[in-house]
Amino acid sequence: MDLVRHLRYFTVVAEELHFGNAAVRLGMAQPPLSQRIRRLEEELGVRLFDRSSRQVRLTEPGRLLLAEAREIVARVDRLRDLAGRGEGAALRVGVPPDLGSSVIAALIAGFRERVPEVRLAPAEMWSADQVIALTDGTLDVGLLRHPVTAPGLSFGPVLVQRPGVVLAEADPLAELSSVHLADLAGRQLVLFPREPGLHEETLAECRHHGYVPEEVHEAQTLGLVLAGTAVAFGPRVELPGLRWRPLLGSPLAWRVSTAWRGQAADAAVTFGAVAVRVLKEKAGMTDDGAAPARRVRARPSSGFLA
Amino acid sequence: MSDLGALFRAAGVTGYLHAVDVDTGAEVTHGADEPVVLASVFKVALLVEFFRQADAGRLEPSERVTVMADGHTPGPTGVSVMADDVTISLRDLAYLMMAVSDNTAADTLIRRVGLPAVNAMLAAAGLDGTWVEHDCRGLFASIVEDTGQEEMPTDPAVIARLRALDPARTSRSTPRDMTRLLSMIWRDEAASAESCASMRGLLGLQVWPHRLAAGFPYDDVAVSGKTGTLPTIRNEVGVVEYPDGGCYAVAVFTRSYGTAQNQPRADAVIGTAARAAVERLRD
Repeated sequence: MDLVRHLRYFTVVAEELHFGNAAVRLGMAQPPLSQRIRRLEEELGVRLFDRSSRQVRLTEPGRLLLAEAREIVARVDRLRDLAGRGEGAALRVGVPPDLGSSVIAALIAGFRERVPEVRLAPAEMWSADQVIALTDGTLDVGLLRHPVTAPGLSFGPVLVQRPGVVLAEADPLAELSSVHLADLAGRQLVLFPREPGLHEETLAECRHHGYVPEEVHEAQTLGLVLAGTAVAFGPRVELPGLRWRPLLGSPLAWRVSTAWRGQAADAAVTFGAVAVRVLKEKAGMTDDGAAPARRVRARPSSGFLA
Repeated sequence: MSDLGALFRAAGVTGYLHAVDVDTGAEVTHGADEPVVLASVFKVALLVEFFRQADAGRLEPSERVTVMADGHTPGPTGVSVMADDVTISLRDLAYLMMAVSDNTAADTLIRRVGLPAVNAMLAAAGLDGTWVEHDCRGLFASIVEDTGQEEMPTDPAVIARLRALDPARTSRSTPRDMTRLLSMIWRDEAASAESCASMRGLLGLQVWPHRLAAGFPYDDVAVSGKTGTLPTIRNEVGVVEYPDGGCYAVAVFTRSYGTAQNQPRADAVIGTAARAAVERLRD
């Protein structure tokens, strides 16, 4: 049997949970579709769908196999894409949306220089979405923030980004040349959405330094900062109404690396090398391990034993 | 934030400040060469000479002395307020002198070290604007003489005639001289490296949180210093060390318009002004 074609039928039925609708989408009649799903079930030796009720439902084994089936289908599509040679191959890469257009442009230019025959197709995605897309096979290589966990992902060299704080220009702290995390007490905080690992690490570090945000907002834009409602962490920005200041002692270390699933293609390896160079040159990132250990300087008046 | 004059005025004081990056020599000045009243800040100079004499083998820091209860110099802290005789090492007296500005501890050390030696050390270091006129007992004697009372005065007319508040007639320095002395301690130039490390340790054990340290309320920033206080006078000189390795010597001397003993804003502006100066050095 053509296993890949059968798996494609399986994924569409699983999406629709309705044989009639799935058949319409696949451009075929319903009886042969039902037949083929049954043949796939025989081939795999499991029931994929529960058809007992009026509703079609995925069985537990069906749910487990769906992600793998999707990936196989996606990779076969990708294989055909690459083999197609029609308008040249593309490398689908995920980049953090806050990276900034100049960095993304440098990534594209740097990659074009090294591999002119492959087009770079960047998609702006937060780390959690990149992990899903890499697992699904809808992304070839990611550029994401740690810590992330996902089975089967491999990572390139880790770079460190030292974010500063973005303030409204009217904030009195904007008059300082650098801001300490403790200075932010009483302010609300904006963090990137869909970066769960980064959230945990960042908020833990804030607590260590005496900053417990009144409220944490997940937002992609700096509107709340501009309004004077909150502050945000991130790389240097030059925008009217906002002031970026370094954080005293560089307490936050955001770790970034490339990521891929399975065997990295040559183009992905090349992209990884280009990304490391560009992120160091354009985004002020440094090699991992440059993080200074936080040292508490005890004072007799504030020491816990006083 | 960065207009030091406005900061001092808002706190009801006249302020004199010098801040210097110990590594680069970059500086911020605000009346940095004006003569100022040292008050207890003179104890830093005494500490340096004490350690130099220890380096030279002229005294033994661990030698124990007995301080008699009936021979105390007046003061609100340390041995000065203890009820009984105390037997203690010279270096532990140095600790009390720095940590809580213990006047009896300081005078006991002066009897061992000698003020002429302290002044000779200051002159040899090129600190021409700095002079230690008297020990703590001598300083108080001049105040009692000028006021006819034992308590610290708050009457403006009385305060106006105190020699202890006139740099020309009491222990004096300039903000710039004091940052230079601190820089020597932080660069191992004031005495042997081991002695300088001991001095840095003692300066870091000072307990007062309300002046210089108040400007840097951060767990990863170290503030070491020495205060000085007399009617209308609130001083602190010290060194601030940032987690990125930045090291700044700051000297702030203030004189308040008001004569009240308790003026938290006047204390706090020492930290605020020092922070503003350090910000400028780091810009």
